[in-house]
Amino acid sequence: MSELNKLYKKAVLAHNKNPHNYGKPETWTHHAEGLNAICGDLVEVYLTIADDRLVAVNFAGESCAIAMASASMMTELSTGLTLQDWQNRFNLFKQLMDPNNEQVSYDELGEVNTLITVKKFPSRIKSATLCWYAVDAAIKGQSSTTTE
Amino acid sequence: MMRHEFPGLQQQVHGKPLVYLDNAATAQRPQAVLDAINNYYLKHNANIHRGVHSLSESATELYEQARNSLARLINAPSEKDLIFVRGCTEGVNLVAQTFVRSRVKAGDEILISHLEHHSNIVPWQILCEQTGAKLKVIPMNQQGELVLDDLDQLLNERTKFMSVVHVSNALGTINPVKKLIAAAHAKDIPVLIDGAQATPHIKVDVQDLDCDFYTVSGHKMYGPTGSGILYGKSEHLSAMPPYHGGGEMISKVTFESTVYNAVPAKFEAGTPNIAGGIGLGAAAEFMMTVGMDKIAERDQVLKVYAEQALSEVPGLRLVGTATNKSPVFSFVIDGIHAHDIGTIIDHHGVAIRTGHHCTMPIFQFYGLAGSCRASLAFYNTEQEVDVLVESLLKAKAMFQ
Repeated sequence: MSELNKLYKKAVLAHNKNPHNYGKPETWTHHAEGLNAICGDLVEVYLTIADDRLVAVNFAGESCAIAMASASMMTELSTGLTLQDWQNRFNLFKQLMDPNNEQVSYDELGEVNTLITVKKFPSRIKSATLCWYAVDAAIKGQSSTTTE
Repeated sequence: MMRHEFPGLQQQVHGKPLVYLDNAATAQRPQAVLDAINNYYLKHNANIHRGVHSLSESATELYEQARNSLARLINAPSEKDLIFVRGCTEGVNLVAQTFVRSRVKAGDEILISHLEHHSNIVPWQILCEQTGAKLKVIPMNQQGELVLDDLDQLLNERTKFMSVVHVSNALGTINPVKKLIAAAHAKDIPVLIDGAQATPHIKVDVQDLDCDFYTVSGHKMYGPTGSGILYGKSEHLSAMPPYHGGGEMISKVTFESTVYNAVPAKFEAGTPNIAGGIGLGAAAEFMMTVGMDKIAERDQVLKVYAEQALSEVPGLRLVGTATNKSPVFSFVIDGIHAHDIGTIIDHHGVAIRTGHHCTMPIFQFYGLAGSCRASLAFYNTEQEVDVLVESLLKAKAMFQ
């Protein structure tokens, strides 16, 4: 399989076409915008946090397939996690995307591990990480963030 | 056409022959430019305008010959009307902070157009913040052409300066700058033309245009990065205050006062990008040898071919369809984000630009976050356009 086909795996293309937890929900407690203006990726995250737990994680916006699929997978993984557990997974995802890190998967990241090839495309790492930084910003009460 | 002169084009990317269609971002350099830079560093490496030794004299001569070459390229009355700058961005900032700043006050207006690159928007916004002046904008239409219906009102008694792009980097539109300059001059309003994307494609004659200032970007016209030219009418350059203070731009310095050097040295503080200037002069000579008429003719052939070829890609929409345009094609494809297209076709050897191309207001007009942009140069071929189209079809197939 070529590097390109590994990047755009079936799972990535499927999440891009039919993203999970997509659309602005009727209610939420935390919101932040992730915007990479230069490449044109916009991910708005809407969180419902109760008792230090992510009860609901939704997203909206228009982005490239990598950012869309990453956001879709991230919302699936994050829903139900305590904030501490989410933070741990965020740290693992940052390690997964680190080009200098040779570990190719982390059990705790589940399907998110399918994004591993992104780190071989340095200009696309920012697309994959945008939604995670947006959730992090929302939890911290910040209204916007960028990974450019 | 002259393709063999460009060593950068003779390489492979991801195992495929490079198809370089990102010329509006930066062009490839001909061997003559690389040789000129090398020749300076190998045989004439010295500072200019200040040494009595042989190398300094020969380096100075090469640098000033380059200025002369550029003056001939744009038909300036004298090479003394040309200031070496880092690029158009520095040229615009220089004019904004010297010529225009000394002329505007709160309530005055600066007129630009909707087609400007950020480098011809932000310097004016900074000036407006400093002075209380207002920024006005000539509108555009769906084709990506300027709408001049209200030009008479936009050029009014409050307008102190107009700054307009000659050729749009995002859409390729060639603006009717001669007409705009005449309209502004009829009301005694001076004009700067941003020529970054014009000099690589069309013959520029600053005397025929009668513009007050004209900016040239070196790396867009096959020259080195960090090189460029600001042309200004001599009466303006003589009257303008300096931009940066430092060495070379003075004729006498004491702790009490400084006497500035004559134009163009007055605007060239510090040791300049000597190799860059010499390389840019070589680029100008190269283009004049090829012939600007031939370059423009070849551009139009490529434009017609590419326009037709791209229109046959299902779901592809061209953004900007001006009647008069250079071979620059912004486009979007249904269902695939520009960023994904850029990554996929790169793996077929095709280099294009994706995003907003430093022209966010244009894409706000179209309601888009950005586009793909294939920008061609005279050395591109019809076969390369075919490879672009094939790679776009492959990207579409991948996303079905």
